[in-house]
Amino acid sequence: MSQKTGQQVYNLTLKIHRYDPDTHRSWIQEYRLEAGRILRFVDLFRKINEEQDATLAWNSSCEHGQCGTCSVKVNGKSLLACELLVENAVQYFNTTTFNIEPLNIAPVVRDLLVDLEKAYERLDKVRPYIIRPAPALSPGEEYPISPHELEGYVNATRCINCFCCASACISSHRTFLGPHAMLAAIIRVMDPREQEKQERLKILYSDQGVYRCHSSRACSFVCPKQIDVAHFIALAKEGGITRKR
Amino acid sequence: MNKASWNPIKLPVERYILPVLEHLPPVVSFYAKTRGWPFIIAWAHRITGLLLALYFFVHIYTLSFLATPVAYDAKMKLFGFFLFSFLEWLLAVPVIFHALNGGRLILFEVFGRRNDESLIRWMLGLSTTYILLLGLMMIRQDQSASLIVYWLPILVFSISLVYLVSLKIWRTENSMAWKLHRMIGVYLLIMIPAHMLFMHLEPAIAHEANTVINRMQHVSAKLLDLTLVLGVSYHAGYGLVSICKDYLPPGSLQNVLTFLIALTIAVLGWVGIKLTIIL
Repeated sequence: MSQKTGQQVYNLTLKIHRYDPDTHRSWIQEYRLEAGRILRFVDLFRKINEEQDATLAWNSSCEHGQCGTCSVKVNGKSLLACELLVENAVQYFNTTTFNIEPLNIAPVVRDLLVDLEKAYERLDKVRPYIIRPAPALSPGEEYPISPHELEGYVNATRCINCFCCASACISSHRTFLGPHAMLAAIIRVMDPREQEKQERLKILYSDQGVYRCHSSRACSFVCPKQIDVAHFIALAKEGGITRKR
Repeated sequence: MNKASWNPIKLPVERYILPVLEHLPPVVSFYAKTRGWPFIIAWAHRITGLLLALYFFVHIYTLSFLATPVAYDAKMKLFGFFLFSFLEWLLAVPVIFHALNGGRLILFEVFGRRNDESLIRWMLGLSTTYILLLGLMMIRQDQSASLIVYWLPILVFSISLVYLVSLKIWRTENSMAWKLHRMIGVYLLIMIPAHMLFMHLEPAIAHEANTVINRMQHVSAKLLDLTLVLGVSYHAGYGLVSICKDYLPPGSLQNVLTFLIALTIAVLGWVGIKLTIIL
């Protein structure tokens, strides 16, 4: 760490996993850069693009922790690159060298980009939308949900599908639909506006569903939105999602 | 993200233990930081489960020598050596860890006890107490207990716990196989550590063929052992198939492995049942 014009500057080494789809070559490329303490990791990637290597590919959209497109693994931890400040990363990992890789939830397209369509295929299996809406009390009006009902699952609705939980899970991605997919299914089972419960329960309590969860709670540990994903899956095992509130 | 978000140190004693654990094997420190301690405990549960399934196989094989008491006694002489006694004591580590951590998981998943950190502390504390108590029994080798006086309260307690769990999960949407796995798990989490302790109250209980055969003449002992053989067979079989389903995609390889596991466990269970009945 050095002082520059009165501001703390870190001398960082980023070891980024790269992949070239044209040659099918994978390698780790090392970048050394100076960065201020409140720069985010997306800022570091952009800095690399601008100052050192324009070919480094990475993903981002909102850069405010709301879209989940910039998820990567930093020193093995799945997180949002737009939320990780340099200073926090140095403190947390106790190093200025960071190993950065794409999430292992789908095939890599290039460098830090993964095939999100493939990743979403598993989520689509739980049909994360209302299939058969309950009729509103009077025509043309919204369906009212009581605050008490909403309280049971409102935290789960904050999921942004960043796939960090799926990447950290003890089960593999070959069989388990994923903690985020379970969350999406559980929301709709608990949602009073949804009338199609049986189809959802069939998927939830299938071999690709809650039985692949072993309550290792890595999903809750890495969730950037601080959703206790393991709590909701445990609630499904406990029978708490079908209980009348 | 700050250090406090992953560092679970709260009690004074953990201030010394956890940093040592984190720095010894790099793999532990890596996963503690990137996935949290419950993730490491989940892996430990899985590994101890595999070890115990393997030990179940060895245990049934050893007990099959009871058909010829002289051969059994000769084999048991080995356990008189310090190294084997030490290994027997070490077996208490996976047994009690798997049992109590299974209890913790049931409290977490079925009874809504989400204060997992305190449950982990209780689980580790009680495990250590049990391991030390068993070690003490093995050193003293002079305890005895009547079959009924020892087992009756334990059995009543275990069955009560199974009843409590069944009340919670019976009407849920979970599959019957899953419910049985949890209910049997609760039964075993008391019965197996109790069985291990009972067998080490004095050396003859488990190490002398005639004493074992005499004990097995009681119908109650036979019934007790039958429930253990059946319970362990099902619990281990379900666990192994579950691991297989965790990592192998649905298809022929998964089906073949599931079939092989079921077959092996069925044969092992059958040998155990036959042994319990004919002795």
